Amino acid sequence: MIITEEIKISDNGFVFNSKTGDSFNLNPVGFELIKMIEAGKEFEEIRDSFLQKYDVDDLAFEKDFYEFCAMLKHHQITLQGDPLDFV
Amino acid sequence: MNRQKIILAVTGLNNTDNPGPGVPVIRSIKESKDFDVRVIGLVYENLEPGIYMEGLCDRIFQIPYPSAGSEELTERIEFIHQQEKIDVLIPNFDAELFSFMKNEGRLADKGIKMFLPTLKQFQEREKDKLPAYGKKYGVKVPDSMNLGTINQIADMEKKFNYPVMVKGQFYDAYPAYNEEQAKQAFRKVSAKWGLPVIVQEFVAGTEVNVVALGDGKGNTIAAVPMRKQYITDKGKAWGGITLADDKMMELTLSLIHKTQWKGGLELELIKTNSGEYYLVEINPRIPAWVYLAVGAGQNIPEALVKLALGHDVQPMTSYKIGKMFVRYSYDMIVDLERFAAISMNKEI
Repeated sequence: MIITEEIKISDNGFVFNSKTGDSFNLNPVGFELIKMIEAGKEFEEIRDSFLQKYDVDDLAFEKDFYEFCAMLKHHQITLQGDPLDFV
Repeated sequence: MNRQKIILAVTGLNNTDNPGPGVPVIRSIKESKDFDVRVIGLVYENLEPGIYMEGLCDRIFQIPYPSAGSEELTERIEFIHQQEKIDVLIPNFDAELFSFMKNEGRLADKGIKMFLPTLKQFQEREKDKLPAYGKKYGVKVPDSMNLGTINQIADMEKKFNYPVMVKGQFYDAYPAYNEEQAKQAFRKVSAKWGLPVIVQEFVAGTEVNVVALGDGKGNTIAAVPMRKQYITDKGKAWGGITLADDKMMELTLSLIHKTQWKGGLELELIKTNSGEYYLVEINPRIPAWVYLAVGAGQNIPEALVKLALGHDVQPMTSYKIGKMFVRYSYDMIVDLERFAAISMNKEI
């Protein structure tokens, strides 16, 4: 999953899409997630890091993660690749 | 560096909730490092806020509405020119452009320079001719129909599904979701702007705009795309942000190249969810939000003045992305004498 080049992410969690003019506020967890995605980390690596750091189980994390990713795609923050490739 | 002294006349000082571009145009040129400008404000109404803004205009003259006839308007400009040797005049209203274009040569002979589109460029982009325009220049435009009578709404219903946009020739646009609303909008628009009334297919999406300047030889001297972030009930931008949108820029450059556009312009576009762009309107002048372009690095009014004076102007190709403008309203306290002067003497 690639964050498009038009996306600017501020250190306070403010995300700006310079192509559409849309902006979003991320909470600290969302910010942490998007930074890891931006860094090109794979799902497994992100999951392991979150399971270690937060009180969350594997299934709940996976569900929330994919929900977050779907939202990123919907708002054109990440590139829409193969529609069958969910992440 | 020596700045060139110029006398600039500007219309559109109506900074109301439906603002004219005059005040931001003056503000932009006052920031120029190349011009030392004396500003002559030309107003139609005695309550245009620009009349009362401190430090904006050096003199104010009231001018007759274009509906009084272009001869009367031109004579008034010539009278003002006898007192203030106007170097450049920037008209900022769609409705007055025709009169100024018609008399461009006559005013130029007197030494008043303008940088306006040609009559052909002006007329072929009129709202009632937009479908043909889109076809000619390869731009997607919403389908539309020109209505001469209210009874034609029935014909329109055979062609379009609701909602539709009901538009005046120069200004005003209302969405109509049923026959009753279409009739209401028709009456409102035709009473104010005459006939035909234009009914345009409704295109769902995000409203985006471009302010640009063409040199009349096919070159785009400046172009800045923007998305309205806050829209008033009159459809005017009260806040906006500059965008990085290559497709919008390509469309603008191509249109200016193909039409050899001369002067300032604003493209009003709808970006659909599938990423297509529909041109819904071309305003043949600088828009009221032009100061955003200046803030983003492209002083379009200054470049327009340079072109009018015959200077060589190189295209501006970069601007800051993510620059915003936010409008505000502000109460000025005005002495009655000033209001009396413009009301009685038609000048200050």
